[in-house]
Amino acid sequence: MDIVVADAVTKNYRTGVGRARVREMTPPPFDRGLAKVFPNWWYKGTFNALEDVSISVSSGSAVGLVGHNGAGKTTLLKVLAGVTSPTRGKVQVNGRVAALIDALVGFHPELTGAENILMLGSMHGFGRRHMRTKVAQISDFSGIEDMLETPVKRYSAGMSARLGFATIAALEPEILLVDEVLAVGDSNFQRKCIQWLDGYREDGGTLLFVSHNLSLMRNMTQQCVWLDHGKAVLEGPTSKVLAEYARAMEERMTSDHTGGDTRRAAKRLMRSTGMNRWGAGGARVKKVHVGELDEHEGLEVVIDYEATQVERATFCIGFIDEAGREIGAAVSRSVVLHQGGGTVRCDIGKLGFKTGIYFPIIAILSAEGTIHDRWRLDRAVVVDHEQDIIPDEFGSVEIPSTWDDEQYPAEPVAQLRSAE
Amino acid sequence: MFRKLWSHRDLVVSLVRRQYQVRYRQSMVGIAWAIIPPLATLGAATLVFGGIAKIDAGKEGYAIVTMAALVPWSFFASSLTSGIPSIISSSSTLTRIPFPRAVLPVSTIGISMIDLSISAAIFVIMSYTVGSGLPATAVWFPLLFLLEFALVLGVVFFASALNVFARDVKLAVPLTTQLWLFLTPVLYPLSSVPDNLRPLVLANPMTGLVESFRRALVPPGIAPDIGLLLPAIIGAVVLLSLGSWYFTSVETRFADVV
Repeated sequence: MDIVVADAVTKNYRTGVGRARVREMTPPPFDRGLAKVFPNWWYKGTFNALEDVSISVSSGSAVGLVGHNGAGKTTLLKVLAGVTSPTRGKVQVNGRVAALIDALVGFHPELTGAENILMLGSMHGFGRRHMRTKVAQISDFSGIEDMLETPVKRYSAGMSARLGFATIAALEPEILLVDEVLAVGDSNFQRKCIQWLDGYREDGGTLLFVSHNLSLMRNMTQQCVWLDHGKAVLEGPTSKVLAEYARAMEERMTSDHTGGDTRRAAKRLMRSTGMNRWGAGGARVKKVHVGELDEHEGLEVVIDYEATQVERATFCIGFIDEAGREIGAAVSRSVVLHQGGGTVRCDIGKLGFKTGIYFPIIAILSAEGTIHDRWRLDRAVVVDHEQDIIPDEFGSVEIPSTWDDEQYPAEPVAQLRSAE
Repeated sequence: MFRKLWSHRDLVVSLVRRQYQVRYRQSMVGIAWAIIPPLATLGAATLVFGGIAKIDAGKEGYAIVTMAALVPWSFFASSLTSGIPSIISSSSTLTRIPFPRAVLPVSTIGISMIDLSISAAIFVIMSYTVGSGLPATAVWFPLLFLLEFALVLGVVFFASALNVFARDVKLAVPLTTQLWLFLTPVLYPLSSVPDNLRPLVLANPMTGLVESFRRALVPPGIAPDIGLLLPAIIGAVVLLSLGSWYFTSVETRFADVV
């Protein structure tokens, strides 16, 4: 049975701050009349955050939403939660919904944690008495017992995220909408949330899940919808959708020369994460070729450089993930630079990264540590594992290692057990 | 809309409680602030109008006559002042939880009702100490209040919804209530209004209300007159239907604009 259905949903938003909003304050049916008489004025400065999006979620399933920033994921969750209504199209939700649109979940800053729990409960239609019985459970889950009598405005971001998740969890929703909240809070709590979500799904709960963390997405969901510029471009089994999505992300990053929208999008992404190139300039990267990941996750990088003042330098190929965190680097020994320019080639035997999208940074450093050129490439390296080798909470890089388990050839545990 | 409100009455109570809790938090004298404003207004008015301007207020004295009108007027003014910005000031909840939006203005009116009971209690104490007690017509109070409540609800529904789209409404509230106060016989008795200005003052729905409260509460006590209350009754019916219609037809857009 489909528990959540969105049928050709379009959500139109106004851009800009605007002065008095005549168009919005006009109640129906007059707004339709005005739109008909003055269509140019009416639709000026609007955009569709969602365009003809149809999805259906069956009861007890977990569906993921992927897409770049501004693709409409949060808007879709808001429409499904009933916080805002679609401009066109129909939404049907048959069950109690709770939404974690973000970590704040609508807490009042002046109220204490305990008061906010009661408040949030009654906003979702639960009486104070019912919520009081849940306070102990919530404070236990969130792990902030000693802060419950303190106003939420004094909480750290992580603390309010924990309280928010714990409170929503205690509301026992039939349909849960989660928007990237697991990114806040420490890894311990993240694991707790994921465990809870697993249990929630086992108990037959329905989950709609937004995340940029592809491996988490793969673990949490069976079905996925990929939203792009407000349109649902692909939906199907998670592994299939994620593979397509990752490929498109990479193409978008590399299609620098095809110009147009994607190039601008890439530029915007660069800007949003800071400057992509800087350095003292004594030696410069002229051209970089980053090859494709081979089947052993090996990668070839060829760097053409030019040097004017620097005689010896170290080359560095670093990687950052989508969140901008530096993951690791391949570093050359000190290289004698050639007058005018030259080429260095780097063979990375095995990248060993967890599933995700990574951006290379090429850098030239002098012996004293001066950065002469540091260039964050537009090119993305996509790592896509069916199953990540590194367990969650153990970082992003697999350290090359050999293991020997023949040191103490005693009885295997299995045999000891069966002998008992 | 009203059915939805009724089914969420728990939430209204919680919201009233929350706002009351928050209001006096981190203040020195706390709950005393509930009594200070009505007493201060009354004190100043008694000094200026009763003492300096020497308005003739009959044998009960200026303080009693004025307080009888200040009780309903403060409810009206404070409901507007806190009710109209109530939706935009809850933007963080509004954009995250799909509860019925009407609980927001209604709960702020609930706060004003608590203030009203406090100032009404002050009035009763005054009547039995300074004045000559409450007349029998004081039993009309609940009915008159119900009428005022409907009028206030209508204004607040309409203006709070409109304020989401045009913040001018909120900015105009202090000025409007102040001007409205001058047009309403609160600080002066209706009898002191000259004949040529009387139709203007009487057309104001609040005039009939405030004057009816005063007549019912101040000895000898006169029962409400339907003719005097007509503008208020018409105003309440028109504004409540207009206000609740407008509110329900635009409330789904609140989360997009706030």
